[in-house]
Amino acid sequence: MATLARAASVHPVPPRRSFRAGLLTAVLLLPASLWYLVLLVVPLAIVVVMSFGTPSRIGGFDPVFSLDNYSQAFERSTPFVTSLVMAIAGTVLCLVTALPLAYFIATRAGRRKSLLIVLLIVPFWTSFLIRTYAWLTILGPDGLAGFIGDLIGDPAFRILGTPAAVLLGLVYGYLPLMVFPIYVTMERMDRGLVEASKDLGAGRLATFRQITLPITLPGLITGSILVFIPLMGEYVIPAILGYGRVFLVGNQLVLQFLEARNWPEGAARAVVLILIMLVSVTFYIWFSNRGRKGREVSVL
Amino acid sequence: MSATAGVAATPATRGRPRRDRFGDLVEGWLRGHTLLVYSFLYIPIIVVVVFSFNATNRRVTDWQGFSLRWYESVLSDTVVQGALLNSLIVASSTAIIATIFGTMAALGLQRAPRWFRTPFEALTFISIIVPEIVIALSTLVFFSSAFDVLNPLLDLRLRLGFQTIIAAHALFNISLVMLLVRARLSGMDRTHVEASYDLFATPWRTFRQITFPQLMPAIVAGGLLSFTFSFDDYVITTFVSGAGSTTLPLYVFGTIRKGVTPATNAVAAVMLLITLSVLLVGQFLVWRNARRAGQRGAQASVAGMIAEQSG
Amino acid sequence: MAQDEIERTIRRMAQAPLSRRGFMHATTLSASAAFLAACGAKSGASASAGAPASAAASVEASTAASAAPSTGAVSGDIEKELFMYNWGDYVDPENIEAFKAKFGVTKFTYDTFASNDELLTKLQGGAIGQWDVSAPTAEFVPAMRDQKFIQKIDFTKVPNAKYIEATFKGVWWDPTNEWQLPKDWGTTGITLRTKVVKEEVKTWKQFFEVAPKYSGRIVAVDSPGDVFVAPLKSLGYSLNTKVPAELEEAGKILLAFAPHVLALDSDQYNTKIATEEAVMGLTWTGGILELRDDPETADTVYRIPEDGTLFWLDTWVILADAPHPNAAHAFLNFIHEPEVQAKETVTNQYATPNSEAKKFVDKKMLDDPAIFVPDDVLARLEGAEDTSTDPIRLDIWEEFKSKIGQA
Repeated sequence: MATLARAASVHPVPPRRSFRAGLLTAVLLLPASLWYLVLLVVPLAIVVVMSFGTPSRIGGFDPVFSLDNYSQAFERSTPFVTSLVMAIAGTVLCLVTALPLAYFIATRAGRRKSLLIVLLIVPFWTSFLIRTYAWLTILGPDGLAGFIGDLIGDPAFRILGTPAAVLLGLVYGYLPLMVFPIYVTMERMDRGLVEASKDLGAGRLATFRQITLPITLPGLITGSILVFIPLMGEYVIPAILGYGRVFLVGNQLVLQFLEARNWPEGAARAVVLILIMLVSVTFYIWFSNRGRKGREVSVL
Repeated sequence: MSATAGVAATPATRGRPRRDRFGDLVEGWLRGHTLLVYSFLYIPIIVVVVFSFNATNRRVTDWQGFSLRWYESVLSDTVVQGALLNSLIVASSTAIIATIFGTMAALGLQRAPRWFRTPFEALTFISIIVPEIVIALSTLVFFSSAFDVLNPLLDLRLRLGFQTIIAAHALFNISLVMLLVRARLSGMDRTHVEASYDLFATPWRTFRQITFPQLMPAIVAGGLLSFTFSFDDYVITTFVSGAGSTTLPLYVFGTIRKGVTPATNAVAAVMLLITLSVLLVGQFLVWRNARRAGQRGAQASVAGMIAEQSG
Repeated sequence: MAQDEIERTIRRMAQAPLSRRGFMHATTLSASAAFLAACGAKSGASASAGAPASAAASVEASTAASAAPSTGAVSGDIEKELFMYNWGDYVDPENIEAFKAKFGVTKFTYDTFASNDELLTKLQGGAIGQWDVSAPTAEFVPAMRDQKFIQKIDFTKVPNAKYIEATFKGVWWDPTNEWQLPKDWGTTGITLRTKVVKEEVKTWKQFFEVAPKYSGRIVAVDSPGDVFVAPLKSLGYSLNTKVPAELEEAGKILLAFAPHVLALDSDQYNTKIATEEAVMGLTWTGGILELRDDPETADTVYRIPEDGTLFWLDTWVILADAPHPNAAHAFLNFIHEPEVQAKETVTNQYATPNSEAKKFVDKKMLDDPAIFVPDDVLARLEGAEDTSTDPIRLDIWEEFKSKIGQA
């Protein structure tokens, strides 16, 4: 009994050797694993098989083995670079916007915390498309662009169809994905630590840098990943707010899968994209976890 | 959105005049920033609602007077209502599935050995990395092939429809919830959990009374985000939906070609009304519960368990 | 023996373009082949007998199933349900209610897609047997027929088809008139705000010449099939050409044109023209007619270019393995009852191919050359072929799209 108690206090979970513990772990992980297996691994296997095929005359593909698609995927890679720039810019903007907001809600909002959090997401329960079209009105010649145009005397002044409009739309669409993870970690932070730090004479900035930031780092990283990755595949917002002038890798994929019905080339491009992202994200996480010691092996 | 006065007062009580002003500046900036962000989020909403009252039957931005005709039209349009209902069903189911399985996975992953954890985490990433159109198309191919095999074999009549949409949505959302809960777990205070085990509480009891309350914000956040993602999804839903399972985004996209009429705005406004009312009710319930359970913190649970042990 | 069977099937499948069904059988066969290889000759005898048998059975089942759709129209009572898969808002709701009332159909579902590509991709992905009726654009009918996505229409059940004008019968996309029933038609043309654009723009050639002057204020529909029409016609070529040299020439024109384009937009081009964000457009007629009627934007004109353009036709088809074939046929017949069809025409603002229905359409619409193109002009227009998978066109299109608005 005593040994068990001691063991329990060192490892917060029951010892691995216990069969029941192992069973519990398996049961906990079973549903998600099943989902991944059936709805992720299998479809992806299909994609990989597709990527080695050749497009048939009427769309779809022939199961004729070919590596052409991969060489094609590496040509015409400008959209990839554009996407990278937009995705990084969008993520940074989201971060800068979300951080103070999350901090305010977590530490200053008191009882209204949950209300504010939910209010953050209520707009997203009206159709995304309708809201984006509302931006067309707001930023269009009848709205902001017209207003500014009159102000500076340039009738051809335009906001829509520029990268700025796209970035605005991206931040608008992805902000909650950044705020929620950050909020979730900040809210857990023990305020006592901050108080102690200040009592010991540390300035605001130092406190923030050495206490708040490290504790909320997992949230920051999760938020960045949750925003950056989908941004790389985004195509609707650039199509509507960017007037299609900002041609991203997502647009390229849609063109190939949908318009051209060239599944093999689309599949090859997707595989390349996925691999690149997987490598970068892994590197990013490893890099940000380098300085962290402790039980947590990864941020996730 | 007024901040609680108590926290802001802390710097002032320290008696350093220079810090005071700076502190106030920071507070002011925080508040201003928050206000700005919420305005940013709600301006399009306001525009949408305002123009839903537009009497015009042409371009939605061509104001022709105030009218409720679009609301009448929406309330009598069974196609739109059907789409809305479908969206709600799909989104709620997805949120429930994702929240439960995602949280379970987050908890289980902590205890899992390295050889399992690494590929599992890789899969989590991949599920988020895969561009929607790619997973959508390949999932469709998978479903149709699977049905072609299973239907004659087991004499079933599996088809594309709600189940396939929910299943496809749940993939991304399970990962989402899992990431959120893990982020929360990593910053969690372990001492209470350890204490609980020291007192020989079962894992379930520990979870229910210690871990779960602390994970609540992450779980709720995950649930909300899952619902939202599922509700608004277009690409995946397009590909794996079947007859009669058109959701609201699909309907809106389909009609956009005929022009954005105030009818679509009215639909959005109605959605807003519904969610805000649900919110108010929910907020009231939560407030009531919080008041009742207010004093029950982690200490109380541990104290309670101690009392039981000795009693 | 089993080995030959498999080899023959593989060879047969390697020659046919792959559909989702074919893919499924490829995997089944390869799995069976792997199975065979894994279990040696003797000991695997029973296993190998099982695997190819199921593979052969599934192949047979698929050929049987694909043969069936052509005789899909089962005689009998009209079912109580109808599943439609169509463009958004493309059938007058009152007509739907009338149909339901007349035939006692209690469940009429209307699912929407936003483009022909979406419809095709979904069917190719395997969503067959889900819906009854759809309305693709005519040039996709041959592809759908070849891939067995649609079934022959039993016109004994659709007597109202006799009202379809001769112009729309026996056309290349359905020479035997068995696979589709025309729905409505229109053109792709030039839209101008004559208040701003004072130059004469009556041909595609002039369109491209004038374009640089209004750089950044030109809009085009996001459809390669339509956009390619302009340069090809300005050069005097067929808009369906596959000749590489001709396409290259057209590509040059397009790439020179790209920097002047404001946006490729199939949904909101009329709004952009209304606000004068765009003053020139390569567009369809959707929304333009309303602009014409509005006093503020009455200077908008829609022109059918004199150097030629395409006319498009949307067609009703009955999908393969339709769950309710009788109801589907009844609907097709119903929608072409003259008065019902006339209502469709007025609601959708597209021309009808139904000669009898025209009698019930008001004169103003009938006389509008933008909607009901005069016969002599119509005779000069070309019908579009499905060139969507032509690699040269796709290359040019992708480059064009990525260079929109770049200096």
